[in-house]
Amino acid sequence: MWTRGRDIDRMFGAMDLLRSRMNNLFTDFDRSYGNDYGWTVAAGTPRTNIHDAGDHLEVTAEVPGFRKDDITIKIQGNYLEISGVRASDSPEGYTAHRVEREILPFSRSFTLPADVNADKVAANLKNGILKLTLPKAEAAKPKQIKIS
Amino acid sequence: MSERTDLVKKEEASPVRSRRIPAVAPVVDIFENDDEILLFANMPGVKKDEISVNIDNGKLTLTGVRMTETSGAPCWEEFGDVEYRRTFSVPQIIDVAKVNAEFKNGVLKLHLPRSEATKPRQIEIKAA
Repeated sequence: MWTRGRDIDRMFGAMDLLRSRMNNLFTDFDRSYGNDYGWTVAAGTPRTNIHDAGDHLEVTAEVPGFRKDDITIKIQGNYLEISGVRASDSPEGYTAHRVEREILPFSRSFTLPADVNADKVAANLKNGILKLTLPKAEAAKPKQIKIS
Repeated sequence: MSERTDLVKKEEASPVRSRRIPAVAPVVDIFENDDEILLFANMPGVKKDEISVNIDNGKLTLTGVRMTETSGAPCWEEFGDVEYRRTFSVPQIIDVAKVNAEFKNGVLKLHLPRSEATKPRQIEIKAA
């Protein structure tokens, strides 16, 4: 009886291995993005990171192929909106074999974790990464409290 | 029950596993005309010195490592450090010595010119 149990466990173990191999097969075949990225949703482009650096927030977004004029940034209080559309750089007179880079217009909005001073925002576009430095409004900055 | 009476638990003899950056294939556009093949690859955030384009034995490999450079605690993270890597097989018609590349705005643009002998030519018919 006990030996039977072990055989069944071994069979299930083999089936689990087969199933995980099959999963990897589908994600590896002609993948455009790695496993961790998962399925990209249209509302989730471009990919953005938000970091909190104490007295300012940093927002970075992957925007390859965009020029400065292609992107619009709007800020109000703790609401940030980024939108834009990439100018097509498909060359004239060529036949296309593969077109994976999209030219869809995008628009994404965020509720930032703190209010932001809209006058002192700096934006920088380099190597296809848009980097926004947003200084927090005075009331939202972290303060040291002394114990008396 | 384990019979170990060590005062301090000894580390297992496995080597320290350094965190490997995930490898991801960059999205590309491929265009062709009579003179050359064009390849555009999206590699945002990679510095120009860290891109390598290798053609070896008919295989073209693009590689680039991208490190994010932000400071502060992450509130929302959708992309991180990544290694872009993708391989293509290069057809025989390409003149490997004349391949050139430029990198702008996070997009790598590769020009693969066709070798002279393979460009399409019109043959003129002479009146006999």
